[in-house]
Amino acid sequence: MIAILTSLILTIVALLMASLSIGDVPLSWRDITAALLHTGYAPQTETIVLDLRLPRALLALLVGMGLGAAGALVQTVMRNPLAEPGILGINAGAALFVTVLIVAFPAVSIAFLPWAGFAGASATAALVYALSWRQGTSSLRVILIGIGVGSVVGAGTTVLMAFGDIRYVQRAMIWLAGSVHDGDWHRVRTLLLWIAPPLALACMFWRELDLIRLGDQTARALGQRVEHARGMAIVLCTLIAGAVVAFAGLIGFVGLVAPHIARFIAGPGHSRLLPVAALTGGVLVMAADLLGRTIVAPAQLPAGLVAALIGAPFFGWLLWRRRHVPA
Amino acid sequence: MIGGCVRCGDSAKVLLLMALVCLLVLAAIVSITQGAVQMPLRQVVGAIIDFDGSRDHLVIMTVRMPRVLAGLLAGAALGVAGAIMQALTGNPLASPDLLGINAGAAFAVVVALTFMHATSGAAYVWYAFSGAAAAAVLVHAFGSAGISGAVPLKLMLAGVALTAFLTSLTTAILIWNQGTLDTVRLWTAGSLSGRSMPQVAAIAPYILSGLAAALIMRRQFMTLSLGRETARSIGQSPLLWHGIAIVIVTLLAGGAVALAGPIGFVGLVVPHIVRFGIGVDYRWIIPFSALGGALLLVLADTAGRTLLAQQSFPVGVTMALIGGPFFIWLARRSAGGRS
Repeated sequence: MIAILTSLILTIVALLMASLSIGDVPLSWRDITAALLHTGYAPQTETIVLDLRLPRALLALLVGMGLGAAGALVQTVMRNPLAEPGILGINAGAALFVTVLIVAFPAVSIAFLPWAGFAGASATAALVYALSWRQGTSSLRVILIGIGVGSVVGAGTTVLMAFGDIRYVQRAMIWLAGSVHDGDWHRVRTLLLWIAPPLALACMFWRELDLIRLGDQTARALGQRVEHARGMAIVLCTLIAGAVVAFAGLIGFVGLVAPHIARFIAGPGHSRLLPVAALTGGVLVMAADLLGRTIVAPAQLPAGLVAALIGAPFFGWLLWRRRHVPA
Repeated sequence: MIGGCVRCGDSAKVLLLMALVCLLVLAAIVSITQGAVQMPLRQVVGAIIDFDGSRDHLVIMTVRMPRVLAGLLAGAALGVAGAIMQALTGNPLASPDLLGINAGAAFAVVVALTFMHATSGAAYVWYAFSGAAAAAVLVHAFGSAGISGAVPLKLMLAGVALTAFLTSLTTAILIWNQGTLDTVRLWTAGSLSGRSMPQVAAIAPYILSGLAAALIMRRQFMTLSLGRETARSIGQSPLLWHGIAIVIVTLLAGGAVALAGPIGFVGLVVPHIVRFGIGVDYRWIIPFSALGGALLLVLADTAGRTLLAQQSFPVGVTMALIGGPFFIWLARRSAGGRS
């Protein structure tokens, strides 16, 4: 376990250094250390490192960690390998609110977009949970209601995308593709404060998660209060994924695939799975953002797209390597 | 069907099936008569049996008829394809999309429009169909490699990965290319408008043969839905039947996406609705899903055309707006008690 965590953290540090040095103005190791130590020697380099590249890389790391952990939570609670935070309607809700704001009220300041995204995400998740409550919930019912609510909300977005002004539609599409290009310290601080408590709670919760994975009846027989645990996990997942979506748009694939990769590496126990999934997600999004802003420079590809473009082949390779392992 | 017929005998289910067929014929007739211009039933019958080339007959035969036929075919195909996918994987989230079919079709159409300067109308049908088929073949090849063979989990994960990859490529192209985005965005919402009779006739054989195969083999799909171990222990070859199921789903869903664009809702939701109504026996789920899917798609298209008076309103949207709340209500009422 220590070896796994160390290698993941080393990968993250390496990616961080790469993100700091690669860009329109390539910087050497010496420039970066000087800037990080605040020597005041070269103010321009300091601006590039401290105000542009570092916050952006850190935002990517936080976004990825949130997605990975939220994905692991929701796959456990739904007991479904295809589940991802989007199944609670989080992505659909955020997408609808943000598209309404961009397409129907183009005059409104973009500063409201994160709030609209978070409001949409949590409202939809709350609606899914409330509608699936009938003297308790069940995983199957949450999944089915999530499909229903997601499709209705998604239809609203589709109408706007199909009939709105094409310029605004394209702007909305770029936001929906998921990106961390506007990372600054304010965003990094806010997102950190927002997702650190639920992440810590989720990790402290590992015993409950190990139990609920076994199925409602077994967990209940072993003394778990299943509804409490499920509700708690759904709330944590909504908080984390909603905040991430609010700050970075829809980065879809990471929340699905990071927990699977983590399960290949660390096994199904949650004391190990959750941190490994979070770090895996962080690596994926950081690498995606780095590639997205360098391969087609000076243009930029949104991190959400690149995450799927590099994550899917990597995941395919993992599947191929494990093709003889009995499932 | 809504009342629930989980414990009905076979004869009651046959009656229910007949009733659905009648309902479907009725819906199709209403759909042809309603529209920007009302057509009396006599005109419709006249156009079919004694076509005289008048304006009304032309409208019926070249505009309304292909649209209704495309809706019937695509709806039935998606319903059955979804049922087979859920039987194959045992996962309530499974749908034909999981084989990468919609993502492959959308990718092929966007590439054709952007790089090969295809003319829009004709491009959709054939590029969509071949993109869908290629994606499904790739997913199956990946998902069934190795000693353990076609395990549902491997298949699903391979499908999800390929879908994410193709969707991202499509989005990347569309972000850079406003012109293509403008041409393609109505199609991606799922739409039946502008289908011509030759297009429908070209795709119909694939869908009809897929439907026929699914109906003939419905007993095998029932066995498949019991899970790998059980299926093998009663003598079914999982490798063979996985392959056959994938081929049928590709024919059905590939044909549907070619006719109606990437519609996700029918394949995912109709099998669930049918299961609430008549239980878990796939020998019945498959025919009921065919009728239910066709009914839902035709009704949604008619509603979009008449209530909203919008010829090109995407049927994917109307269907989600009508079918979504209905589905939520059903799921609240009937899905899995407390546990």
